[in-house]
Amino acid sequence: MYRYIVRRLLWAIVLFIAVTMVTYLIFFVIPSDPAVLAAGRSARPEDVARARHYLGLDHSVPYQYGLFLKRLVIDHSLGRSFVNRRTVNSMVGEGAPVTASLVFGGAILWMLLALPIGILSAMKPRSLTDRSAMVFVLIGISMPVVWIGLVLQYLFGFKWNLFPNAGYCDVIHPPSGATCGGPLDWFTHMILPWVTFAILFTAIYVRMIRANVMDTMGEDYVRTARAKGAPASRVMTRHVLRNALLPVVTMLGMDIGIALGGAIFTEYIFGLPGLGRLAVTSLQNFDLPTIEGVVVFATLCIIIFNLLVDVLYAFIDPRIRLE
Amino acid sequence: MEKRLWLSIVAATIGVGLIIAASATAAPSAGHPAKVVKAAAGGTIVTELESDVDYTDPQLTYYSPMWELMYATACKLMNYPDKEAPAGGQVQPEVAAGLPVVSKDGKTYTFTVKSGYKFSNGQPVTAANFKMAIDRLTDPKIASSTAFLTSDLIVGAQDRLDGKSDSVSGVSVKGNKVIIRLIHPGPDLLARLATPPFQAIPATLAANHDPAGVNASPSCGPYYIAARTPGRSITIKKNTFYKGPRPHNANAIQVNVGNSTDVIYQNVVKGTTDYAEDGVTPTLYAGIAQKYGINKKQFFTRPELEVDYLALNHDPGRLFHDNPQLAKAVNYAVDRHAYLAQRGFLAGARTNRILPPGMAGVTKATEVLTNGYPITASGATVKKAKSLAAGHTGSGKAVMWAPNSGPGPLQAQIVQFGLKQLGVDVSIKLLPRAQQFVTARNRNEATYDINWSAWGADYNDPFDFINILLDGTTIGPTANNNDAYYNSAKFNAQMHKASLVAAGPGRNAAFDALDKAMMAEDPPWGPMFNRTNRLFVSSHIGCFVYNPVFEVDLAALCKT
Repeated sequence: MYRYIVRRLLWAIVLFIAVTMVTYLIFFVIPSDPAVLAAGRSARPEDVARARHYLGLDHSVPYQYGLFLKRLVIDHSLGRSFVNRRTVNSMVGEGAPVTASLVFGGAILWMLLALPIGILSAMKPRSLTDRSAMVFVLIGISMPVVWIGLVLQYLFGFKWNLFPNAGYCDVIHPPSGATCGGPLDWFTHMILPWVTFAILFTAIYVRMIRANVMDTMGEDYVRTARAKGAPASRVMTRHVLRNALLPVVTMLGMDIGIALGGAIFTEYIFGLPGLGRLAVTSLQNFDLPTIEGVVVFATLCIIIFNLLVDVLYAFIDPRIRLE
Repeated sequence: MEKRLWLSIVAATIGVGLIIAASATAAPSAGHPAKVVKAAAGGTIVTELESDVDYTDPQLTYYSPMWELMYATACKLMNYPDKEAPAGGQVQPEVAAGLPVVSKDGKTYTFTVKSGYKFSNGQPVTAANFKMAIDRLTDPKIASSTAFLTSDLIVGAQDRLDGKSDSVSGVSVKGNKVIIRLIHPGPDLLARLATPPFQAIPATLAANHDPAGVNASPSCGPYYIAARTPGRSITIKKNTFYKGPRPHNANAIQVNVGNSTDVIYQNVVKGTTDYAEDGVTPTLYAGIAQKYGINKKQFFTRPELEVDYLALNHDPGRLFHDNPQLAKAVNYAVDRHAYLAQRGFLAGARTNRILPPGMAGVTKATEVLTNGYPITASGATVKKAKSLAAGHTGSGKAVMWAPNSGPGPLQAQIVQFGLKQLGVDVSIKLLPRAQQFVTARNRNEATYDINWSAWGADYNDPFDFINILLDGTTIGPTANNNDAYYNSAKFNAQMHKASLVAAGPGRNAAFDALDKAMMAEDPPWGPMFNRTNRLFVSSHIGCFVYNPVFEVDLAALCKT
C-alpha cells in the first residue's frame, strides 16, 4: 500500500510540473503583454519597462518558470497578482471555501437524489417511476447549467422571492458591512446554487447507478444469493449495491476533484466569489500568477481525490490489492 | 419506438413549459409610478459593482468606478463642484484657498492650503499632506499606474520614479503653501491635481510602501473608506470631522461586489440595492426606460467624456498613409447610426468630432449635427464618399481589428459594409479586448488599417484627448496611445502650441479649432459616437447629481 501511495505521489509531482509548465507556455504564446496592462493605458514606454521589471517579466520564460517553482516549493508562495498585487495564496484561500461549499453541498444533494432514484428505477425497470426518472434524466442532461441557473434565480430568487437570488454569506466571520452571515444565511444563499449545480450531475448519476444496478442484478452471484434464500434487502445491500456503486465512487471522486477547480457557470450566475470566478477574471486580465494559482489548486485537488478514490477502492472491494 | 416517442413528447412538453414560464415572467411588468416617500437624513446607500475595483489605495487605483467612489472620500487642492454639467466640469479650488499664484514663465504654481479640513481620524490637513501624496505616487516601490500624471510635467518626478531621490524635488512645502515647479508650462496641471491620486494623504499612508496598497485609510473628504474585503465589499463611512461645503447626506455607502448585471438589476428593482454602479445588462435598458421614464426618478442618462472611434492607421505601408481622401471617405461612408445601435438603447450620441461634448472646446452635443461629416448615412453621403475615395483605395484591401466581445463584431461588420461601397474589402480580425489593446500599442505588431477603439478622459482637459492620442512626436516602438499612428508635422506643432495656452476660453478655442482642422484636412479617425452613461437607481434614492467628470455624486445622494 505504502509503495503504491509513494509511486502515485511521484507521478503526481510529474503531472503537477507538466500542467503548470503547459499553462506557462500557453500564456506566453498568446501575444499579450501584462506589463502594458499593469502600467495603465496612458503609460509611456519607460513606464511599461518599469512595470515589466517590477513584475519580473523582463527575464526569460524558463527563468520565470524556475522562479515560480522555487517560490512555490521553498516559500510556499504562489506569487502576487499582476492586476491587484495581492498574494495569490490569499486569493485562492478566499475562493476555495466558497467553491468547496458549492461542490460538497451539491455533491451531497446529487447523491441524495441520484441514489434512491437510480436504485428504484433499476429495481422496477419500465415502471412509471423508472420512466419518470428517465424523463428527469433527459431534462437534466439536456438543459445547460447556465439556463437552469438563470431560470431558477429569476423565478425563485426574484419573481417569487423564495430564496436569495445571489451572493454568498460566510458561515463565520462575515466581512465588515456584510448584510448577511452565519450558518442559516449561508445555507439559504446556497440552496439555488446547489440545486443548479446538482441537476446535471444528478441526471448523470441516476443513469449510471440505474445501469450498474441492473447489470449487477443479473450477475450469477446475485442469482446464487437469491437461490440460497437470502432476503431481498440483504441481496440488494450486500451483493448488488456493494458492487454496483464501485464505479460511482470513482466518478464521484473525480467529479469533486475537477469541480473544486472552479464551478464557473454556477459561481458566475449566483455571484459566488469562488475559484471559478477567480479563474475567469484572471484569464480576462492575463493575470498569470492567479491563473497558475487556480491551476495549481485544481491540479492538487484532482490528484488528491484520485488518490483517495484509489485507496478507498481497496477498502470497498476486497478483490483489489494495490500491492 | 412508441414508448420512446412518448418519453420524448413528455420531455419536450416540460422543456417548452419551462421556457414559456421563464420568458413570460422575464418581461418587465407595466410601469408603476415610483412610490413617493419623504426624504430622510442618514441611512446607508447600497451600490453594486459586477467586477471588483483594482485598489482602494488612492495612489494605486486607476479604475473609473473607484475614482467615482473617491470623489466622495477625497479632498484635493483642486476639485470639481458637486454639480451637473457644465458647471460640474469646471475645476475649482477645494482645499486650496484660491486659484494658485502662477509664475510669469508659467512653470511654478503656489497653492495656499486652507485650515479647517481634517482627516477622518481627526488629524488636520496641512500642505505637507499634499506633498506626501505626490511623493507616494512616484514611489518606485509603489510603482503606480497613475504616476504618468506627474512624470512628464513635475520637476523631479521622473528621478523619484527612477529611484534617484527620496522625494519629488519639484514639490516643496513652506508653511501652509505647496509649491509645484514644472518642467514646462502646464495649463492642465489644475485638472490633473483634481484626480484622486493627488488627494491629501495622512502620514500613516505616506509611510506605507506595500505594492498591494492599503484597503482602508483615513481621508479628508466627506466620507472615508472604512473597510474593504477584496472581491466582496467596500464600506464607506461619513467623515465626522468633515466641515467643508460638500454634501454628505447618507451615513454610509456600502459597495457590494460580484453579482452579475442581471442580479444587480433585480436588486435595484427590489430596492435592496440603490445604485447599479457598473450598470445593468444592456438589453434591459429599453424596458427600464419604458417602466421608469428617462431622467425622472430612477433612470437617468448623462453623456460621458468619451469617444468611440475608428483609428485609421497612418503608418507607412498602411492604407491611410498619406491618404486623407480615403480617410474623409470613411467618415462619409460608415453608418454611425447602425454602429451606435449595436450598443443598445440610449447608448450614446453620434459624433464626427475628436473631442466629446462637455470637454473644453465642445460645448453642445448638437454641434455635431451642424458641422463636418454626416452622422446619418444616406445615398447622398455614400455618393460623396465614393467620389472622395475614387483613385485612393490602394490595394482595395484593408484589415480591421475589433474586440471579439460585446458589440465589437457587429460594429466591425458595419464598417466592412461601409467600405465595401467604396471598393475596399475589409477583413475583420477579432481579438480579446485586452489583447487588442496591448498589441495595437506596439508599432511593429499593429498590422491593421482600421482599429476599433475608445477613449475616456483621465481628467477634463483636451490635452488628454488630442495630444495624448494624436501627437505624432510621441510615437515609439511600444506603449503608443496614438493607435492611428498619426504624425502630421503641421498638427503636431499646433498641438504643442495649444497645450501651452492657459486654461479658459482661449485654450478651449485653440483645441476646438484644432479638432475641426484635423478632421477637415486629414482625419486621423472616423469618430463614431460618444457614450451615454445609463444610470439606474432604486426608488429610495433622491438628491441625484451627476458630475460630468466623476459620474454619480455619491456624497450628494440621499435616501428618501
